[in-house]
Amino acid sequence: MSDAVRTMALFKRYGPQVAVAGVDLVVPAGSFAGLVGPNGAGKTTTLSMITGLLRPDGGEAHVDGHHVWRDPLQVKARIGVLPEGLRLFERLSGRELLLYNGRLRGIPKAEVERRADELLQVMDLTAAAGKLVVDYSTGMRKKIGLAAALLHNPSVLFLDEPFEGVDPVSANTLTEVLRRFTASGSTVIFSSHVMDLVERLCDWVSVMSGGHIVAQGPIGDVRAGRSLNQAFLDLVGGPQAAAGEGLGWLGSGERR
Amino acid sequence: MSLTRTVALFAGLKLRLITGNLRGDTARQVGFAFTLILALGTAAGGFALVSLLRLAPPDLAVAVVTLLYTALLFGWMVVPLLAFGLDDTLDPARLSLFPLRTRELAVGMFTASATGVWPAATLIVTAGALVGLAGGVGGVLVGLLAVLAHFALCLVASRLVTTALSGALRSRRGRDALAVAAIAVVLLFQLPNLLMNRGFGDPQGMLLDMAGALRWTPSGLAAHAIAGGGLAGLAEVAVLAALTVAAGWLWIKALGRALVTADSSTQAASVRRDSGLADRFLPDGPLAAVVTKELKYVRRDPRYRILWFAAVAVVLVMAFSFTGQGMSGPTLPIVMTAFCGMMIAVQLGNAYGIDGRSLWMNTVAFGAQRQFDLDLAGRHLANALIAVPVLALVAVASALFAGEPGTIGWALAAGTGVLGVGFGVGSVTSVLIPYTVPERMNAFTGAAPGQGGQAFGCALLAFAGVALLSAPFAVAVAFAGPWVLAFAPPYGLAIETLGRRLGAKIGFARMPELLAAVSRPT
Repeated sequence: MSDAVRTMALFKRYGPQVAVAGVDLVVPAGSFAGLVGPNGAGKTTTLSMITGLLRPDGGEAHVDGHHVWRDPLQVKARIGVLPEGLRLFERLSGRELLLYNGRLRGIPKAEVERRADELLQVMDLTAAAGKLVVDYSTGMRKKIGLAAALLHNPSVLFLDEPFEGVDPVSANTLTEVLRRFTASGSTVIFSSHVMDLVERLCDWVSVMSGGHIVAQGPIGDVRAGRSLNQAFLDLVGGPQAAAGEGLGWLGSGERR
Repeated sequence: MSLTRTVALFAGLKLRLITGNLRGDTARQVGFAFTLILALGTAAGGFALVSLLRLAPPDLAVAVVTLLYTALLFGWMVVPLLAFGLDDTLDPARLSLFPLRTRELAVGMFTASATGVWPAATLIVTAGALVGLAGGVGGVLVGLLAVLAHFALCLVASRLVTTALSGALRSRRGRDALAVAAIAVVLLFQLPNLLMNRGFGDPQGMLLDMAGALRWTPSGLAAHAIAGGGLAGLAEVAVLAALTVAAGWLWIKALGRALVTADSSTQAASVRRDSGLADRFLPDGPLAAVVTKELKYVRRDPRYRILWFAAVAVVLVMAFSFTGQGMSGPTLPIVMTAFCGMMIAVQLGNAYGIDGRSLWMNTVAFGAQRQFDLDLAGRHLANALIAVPVLALVAVASALFAGEPGTIGWALAAGTGVLGVGFGVGSVTSVLIPYTVPERMNAFTGAAPGQGGQAFGCALLAFAGVALLSAPFAVAVAFAGPWVLAFAPPYGLAIETLGRRLGAKIGFARMPELLAAVSRPT
């Protein structure tokens, strides 16, 4: 199996703080991959460097065998991105945003319109297609962002926290679309810290902590019989919950 | 909670907010020091000047104080809206979860707005009238009441306006409208300045007339109460106090309503389906997409509306002062139109600033320098589509005004030439010194915190570049006559092309840095 994404010693520092300390991320083609890690582990920074949004201080990144920073034309035609923060062109309507995005990539207008209308329907956004993105809710923004990322039919999709702040109905729509996408042999990489979701959706998982990959492989191997949540806590080594100490006032009891 | 405790609590809260805002941020500390110096200067200078009115004839002194008080009152009602949008401390919704009665909330917010540098400065300047106008012990006592009542009215009126509008200000459309209104008010303040430049026959008579018209307004009452003293003065203070209480009552009512009214900002209507203006004359492709998007942004984003509005307004102001200085003949339309072209073109001196963090969408799509170049070309084309009719209008209007209809063509040629030069220079400054344009641009700053230097440098470089590259034409016209301007449009186009190529070359190489510079938090 060839690799959809492979990075070698990817490195980024902000001033004295090292955000990503030599990451060797591997994602096989056709997999539904989860990138998990606690807050501040370097997930967003890593994804930004692979998608060409942030210049790395060292190391290399390849997508489908093409060097991200030396061969941008090949890479950018192959990737779809949903970055964190969800800043979109706020003063366009959802439909206009999709049209702009597709035509910017050189797809003919008629074809973009056809794809956009289908995507809007699948994402259940047809009724809101004419509203400005600035007035969208979080779930709607994630969906229109995903639609924009899928519009040019990329072979690798990068999603940064696609399910954060999304209601269950929208989340279900998102997962259905992504499942169909990977079933056809395309690759999805998404970052999350919701372990249940990753366990349910992914067949490949990479665990990041403190700027490093601490475990990586088929989800069964990483879990090794435990639940993914337990495996994650064992790997990342969070502080053991000290129940019973402090917080004695919390909960129903004596009121003052 | 007792009254004094509420007052102490909210005064403490406001002071903590002020100090907390300054912690660990040098730029803000410097800004605050500057504000402090400015406020101290205003307070001391204002107090001294108002005190000196004692030397002026009494009727004139009362007139000046009336106008000053009116300006203060108006300023208190308008400036907080324009300068800060809706400040956290002023938004009653922030406090709605705390177990406070409306009366406590009203007292607390009144205290919070009385605490601060500018309220103190206002009070000191207002009190200057005690020295300037009041006569005798009785006069000073009545005057003191009048000063306090007018100060309270300033605060309450300010609160009333912000609270009444807070629902609108929390919605997107309200903020959009306010952003554009802000610049209009700033220009309004320029109006007296311009009129003065033109020279008026009798400034003193005008002053007395205006004060006479304001005699029975709250500010007029306060000024006359201080000057007159006695029972009549006391009656005027009573009316003023009653007005303040009435405004306070209205404010409490508005506060009660604002706390239970839902935020309706996301229930917006759909936009019209686009008529596809750009698609009618452009071949299908990325260029048409960029032009379509830019034209929509100019129409829909309040920041573009502000920029265009400001550009046109500056041109009008300049026209006023050019003609005031006796410029006429064929020079006027040519200079005016060229100046207008420059003002419009330098708006694109930071072309990516308004895209801001959404620029990632372009960054992940552009894999070749050619695409970046095309994007710049689209932006120029979209702006030219609006600019050329505007320039034509300016050329025709100024030529007719100057009585030189023959120069319309030359003026338009000069304007479009400068426009092209400006686009070319702007392409380079946009990628060399990019900066973030904040979402809620106010009348006083156009850059994200900490990027003021970039904004200044960018504008300076853009203006200097345009001036330098247009200078040969100015010289040639002076020596050879206006026919040289026939070469201005092709020259502008050439500079635009060169600048665009250079900008695309630099910009494509540093796309991640460009994205970071325009994505700063605001």
